[in-house]
Amino acid sequence: MSFLEIRGVGMRFGGLQALDDVSFRVERGSVVGLIGPNGSGKTTLMNVISGVYKPTAGSVTFADKTIANVPTHQVCRLGIARTFQIVKPFASLTVRENVAVGAMYGRDGAKRTTAQAFDHASELLEIVSLARVADRPASDLTIPDRKRLEVAKALALDPDVLLLDEVMAGLNASEVDEALALLRSLSERGVTLIVVEHLMKAIMAVSTTIVVLAEGKKIAEGAPLEVTQSRAVIEAYLGARYVKRQEAARAVADARAAEGAR
Amino acid sequence: MAVATATAPPARRVGLGGITGSPLALKVVVGLLVLALAVPLLHNGYYENLFRGILMFSAMALGWNLIGGYTGYVSFGNVVFFGLGAYTSATLASHGIENVWVAVPLAIVVAAMFAVALGVPILRLKGHYFGIATLGIALAVQEIVANVDALGGGTGVTLHQAAWYSQYYYAMWLVCAGSLLVTWFIARSKFGYALVAIRENEDAAAVLGVNATYFKVAAWAISGMMAAAAGAVFAFSTGFIDPPSAFSVDNNVFPIVMVLLGGIGTVAGPVVGAILLTAINETLWSHFPQIHTLFFGAVIVIVVLFLPRGLLYLQNARGGLRGMIDSLSAYRV
Repeated sequence: MSFLEIRGVGMRFGGLQALDDVSFRVERGSVVGLIGPNGSGKTTLMNVISGVYKPTAGSVTFADKTIANVPTHQVCRLGIARTFQIVKPFASLTVRENVAVGAMYGRDGAKRTTAQAFDHASELLEIVSLARVADRPASDLTIPDRKRLEVAKALALDPDVLLLDEVMAGLNASEVDEALALLRSLSERGVTLIVVEHLMKAIMAVSTTIVVLAEGKKIAEGAPLEVTQSRAVIEAYLGARYVKRQEAARAVADARAAEGAR
Repeated sequence: MAVATATAPPARRVGLGGITGSPLALKVVVGLLVLALAVPLLHNGYYENLFRGILMFSAMALGWNLIGGYTGYVSFGNVVFFGLGAYTSATLASHGIENVWVAVPLAIVVAAMFAVALGVPILRLKGHYFGIATLGIALAVQEIVANVDALGGGTGVTLHQAAWYSQYYYAMWLVCAGSLLVTWFIARSKFGYALVAIRENEDAAAVLGVNATYFKVAAWAISGMMAAAAGAVFAFSTGFIDPPSAFSVDNNVFPIVMVLLGGIGTVAGPVVGAILLTAINETLWSHFPQIHTLFFGAVIVIVVLFLPRGLLYLQNARGGLRGMIDSLSAYRV
């Protein structure tokens, strides 16, 4: 039995096949980077794994349970938490209250009193470095801080698996470094991560495995270096003509080198 | 050497009980409520009626605030619960049980059952659709009641009042105090935070483990119980009810305006609104009997324009004079 298994997942919205027969396994403690060009189905897959969408084909199983059969509000109690690419703070609540809601209703929420939920929220805000704005309304936060808040809310659910949907988009270089340090520390604490990100440098640095989607299909899976050298991946990102031109250029260079050697 | 320290003051006092609203307003309201216990001792029928009206509208406004203010589901049909409560009393009375203390608990049970039965389907609707559905239910129930002979039909029901008339005042006081207490407990509990999370973003709330359907139905049921209890006492205190009085438009609209005037999504706001609106209404009524509804309409427009979230938000760091100016410029007045 594997930890989290995505098996033949297809998702169709009317005439659009957003996901087509996507399968891969996620091992406990791994960091899976999910990459692909715009519109390749990354966020759709995140929505399927977190139970927001029910797949039109295939299934996602986690700890022997099929996610599609679990109501959205109970997915987090299985141990799966997510952030939203388009952040969804509770605008009128303070930052601390936002996180406390997760701590109240997440996996261990039933065991916590309101006061304990607030204490737990305060600890998490330290981890994501939002303690300085804990008592401000969430609507006052800057975009990078809203991304941090999304992470803190997800962590408040005490997840085994955390799905991070573009939490680094819009961050500057030093903020990206901070975010990477945060991901590493989460991974060290035993949280399995599935990370959607456009920043190649960031995702290569943190992932143990990379899954590449293009037009709803999985086109590659493997260690970061392996994947970046895959022809299918380069084609998906830069186009088939680019690959052919590169190959032609390489052939010419090889021929010249061969000639030079003679 | 001056060192610039980045110590931004917190925008509002929060922590435990952050969604209860102004603690000062709550203390004032509780104080007024205790004072209100003495009203029947004045032996003045006008004051007793006036204050019983304030208590009644406070309970209804507190009820509306739970579903419309805390949960963000704007109901235009909470009068249906008030009417059901009133007709619970009327039905009991026509079967010889003319006792307000029996009627109130029964009305609460009737309202809860009605809210759960209808809440499960209609709380799947969002925004305006929910509002329209609740309005439809209120109108439909009024028509049904008007056509059921066992309930008095269109002619109404007369209830015999007990010799100790002030018991209805105290019953209404208990309904109001109970509603305030329940709201206060909810606003300090996990339950309250679930409701606010649903109001702010229902999808995000579900992902955080909030069972939105359960909490919405519960909030609507409790909201209905408050209105029904007020209706049950009202039926005895007026002595006669018919469908237009039990399901009146005033009883539907006033609580909403009171919540907006006092402070939406706060514990004390609905009571503050009930006191102010009743005072405004009485003053206008006595000074401009012909055109008081015109002034009343103007008051509603002014409230919505300048205090869209209620008087209690004036205390807020973002309220006050600056908030008012922001509001003005936002509406390009």
